[in-house]
Amino acid sequence: MDFDDTPDEAAYRAQARALLAEHDAELLHVRPGESADARLREAELRATQRVLADAGLVGVTWPREYGGQGGTLVQQAIVAQELSRARVPTLINHIGIGMCGPTVIAHGSDDQRSRYLARLLRADDVWCQLFSEPASGSDLAALRTSAVRDGEDWVVNGQKVWTTLAHVADFGILLTRTDPERPKHAGLTMFVVDMHAPGVTVRPLRQMSGDAGFNEVFFDDVRIPDSERLGEPGEGWRVALTTLMNERVAIGGAGSDIGQSAEALAAHTRDRLPALGAEQQALARQAVGRALVAALAARYTGYRRFTTLSQGGVPGPEASAGKLGGTAAARLVSDAGVRLLGDDAVYGATADGDETWQKAAAYVPGIAIAGGTDQVLRNILGERVLGLPAEPRTDKTAPFSGGRR
Amino acid sequence: MNFDLSDDQRAAAAGAREFFTGSVPLSAARAALEGDGAPAPGRKALADIGFLGITVPESAGGAGGSVLDLAVVAEQGGAVLAGPSLVTAARAAVLLEGAPDLATQLADGSAAMAVLDGPVTGSAPSLDAADATLFLGLDDGALVVGEGEVVPGRPLDATRGLASVRLTSRRVLAEDAGELWARARAVGAVVMAAEDLGAADRAVLMGVQYAQQREAFGRVIGSYQAVKHMLVDAWVGVDQLRSLVWWAAWAADSAPGELPLAAAAAKAYAAEVFERAAETVVQVHGGIGFTWEHDAHLYWRRARVDRLLLGDAAEHLDAVARLAVDGALG
Repeated sequence: MDFDDTPDEAAYRAQARALLAEHDAELLHVRPGESADARLREAELRATQRVLADAGLVGVTWPREYGGQGGTLVQQAIVAQELSRARVPTLINHIGIGMCGPTVIAHGSDDQRSRYLARLLRADDVWCQLFSEPASGSDLAALRTSAVRDGEDWVVNGQKVWTTLAHVADFGILLTRTDPERPKHAGLTMFVVDMHAPGVTVRPLRQMSGDAGFNEVFFDDVRIPDSERLGEPGEGWRVALTTLMNERVAIGGAGSDIGQSAEALAAHTRDRLPALGAEQQALARQAVGRALVAALAARYTGYRRFTTLSQGGVPGPEASAGKLGGTAAARLVSDAGVRLLGDDAVYGATADGDETWQKAAAYVPGIAIAGGTDQVLRNILGERVLGLPAEPRTDKTAPFSGGRR
Repeated sequence: MNFDLSDDQRAAAAGAREFFTGSVPLSAARAALEGDGAPAPGRKALADIGFLGITVPESAGGAGGSVLDLAVVAEQGGAVLAGPSLVTAARAAVLLEGAPDLATQLADGSAAMAVLDGPVTGSAPSLDAADATLFLGLDDGALVVGEGEVVPGRPLDATRGLASVRLTSRRVLAEDAGELWARARAVGAVVMAAEDLGAADRAVLMGVQYAQQREAFGRVIGSYQAVKHMLVDAWVGVDQLRSLVWWAAWAADSAPGELPLAAAAAKAYAAEVFERAAETVVQVHGGIGFTWEHDAHLYWRRARVDRLLLGDAAEHLDAVARLAVDGALG
């Protein structure tokens, strides 16, 4: 047992670190715990990804024939760690790289692959994933956005929601209902949609933290050529599962904290604890201790998953436990951080304008929902890891149009 | 990174599982609670198979193994509520680093040892003291060994052998032993967290197996999300506890600077996870889980006792916060 890189991993890490140092002046940087708002810094973020792509640090696990590096999941994790260490923000096209691109690789035509993939890696095009709808969140297969065949085109009408990056995206993968007479999972079809096409309207969606990190996307008679279909008509669910399995790999959490880090909470405690009264200090130390234990438990569990990757394994359903644990830790960490603010905790920011901990707390409910709600993850773990039966369902076999959705 | 057990450690865990399963029926924990027998497998069996000397140097008759080697065995003992605890063996092995003759007696079981918490003139309830005859304690900063007068209380969990002890004789083994004592206590906390890991894991398994069989309202209860999610939360806790136990055991062996933080984190988390697992297994079983005849309460009892031994959660959480503020996270 050790926490050191293998010789191969160490060599790869050194190479990545050297490349990042070499290009440091060309890259956008953020403070620890800060993210870069794509709304405000789109051009810099695109430029940063382009530099990294040309340096061979983007699409690490993608096959070489599509412009990737043909590397391992461990190498991808190492690059992510080194980017974080160098204070480079998350790549603007992380959804494209992690989810849309692999879906195009798996289900796209040669023509689509050659037109899209290289540009995606260099952030010449930014991609988004158009899955969730107002009436289909956890129950994704209940989606209603329709695509109707019209000659060589499909005509799309409906609404998507919680679409990260839609406001800067050039393309998206779009899951639609093409046959409402078939059962819900069987009537779906996936497309690549041009986000600049007539009839596509993107509106920012302001979430409870006050930020607008997501969007609503409206489709009004948007025409998509049949050549932009991914997979066969009616095969959309299978295509979507490719995307979602890649999402699991992307957010499986191989030892990186969700939300504010344990180190950030420790530093914050050092700053703020002495200003609290004696009783509050005792309670705050308990809260900080509990939060740090949860964060360390999640972190070291992530290291076990990382080891699995290192041994050539693939993340399974137990990766869902990583997100559950990370979310629970984020909740405790942000709450302890707020508690340390003392009287300032009733305000949206401290007197000097710092809103770090209130923002962190207001993000936690979203973390517990996005990418699989805590409840859906518990179902996955209960059914696939513990072997408990699923709840009986009435919606799987009846035609979607019949009302049992 | 290789944060995983070695093949040898996996084999040792499998061997330990076989030994404990064969030598420790859960009826032993109930019988001990009813005053009708001693905890199983008992000191002699643990000594004979070599488990009391896993971390004792080979030169003193032990196996010269690591704390992690011991932890993977302790996990298996915890699963069946074995007694006496390997915590005592782990802690005493550290304290007796400078007393190889006593370490030999620890490993071969010829001395029935316990480590005393609190003042040696009247100790706090101490693990496996009830049937011990030789005691290690900290007296005015010195490590002492001696015989004593044992006062057990009525057991809540009879497998822990708790008793208060007043030393009637004492011999100084080492002056200025404060640091040694603290390290031994931390190692003991890690091994207790490992035993709690095994016990919590087994409790969750019992709950899952029952939820797969028991039917209510026309289907097995494990299909209901209300039941399923309770079990999943308990399982996730166990899975994460395993990570902290491994880290803390690794730190004891390879990164002593990280041991205080890792041991405190593991012990605090073990208390929470094991208690939740034990309460979950009772709840999932419903009425039968609340009966004396069912095994669930044996785990619940162990959880209720262990959470307070070697420092309660409040003490360890406070330590984690203080250590982190002092830069222990690096």
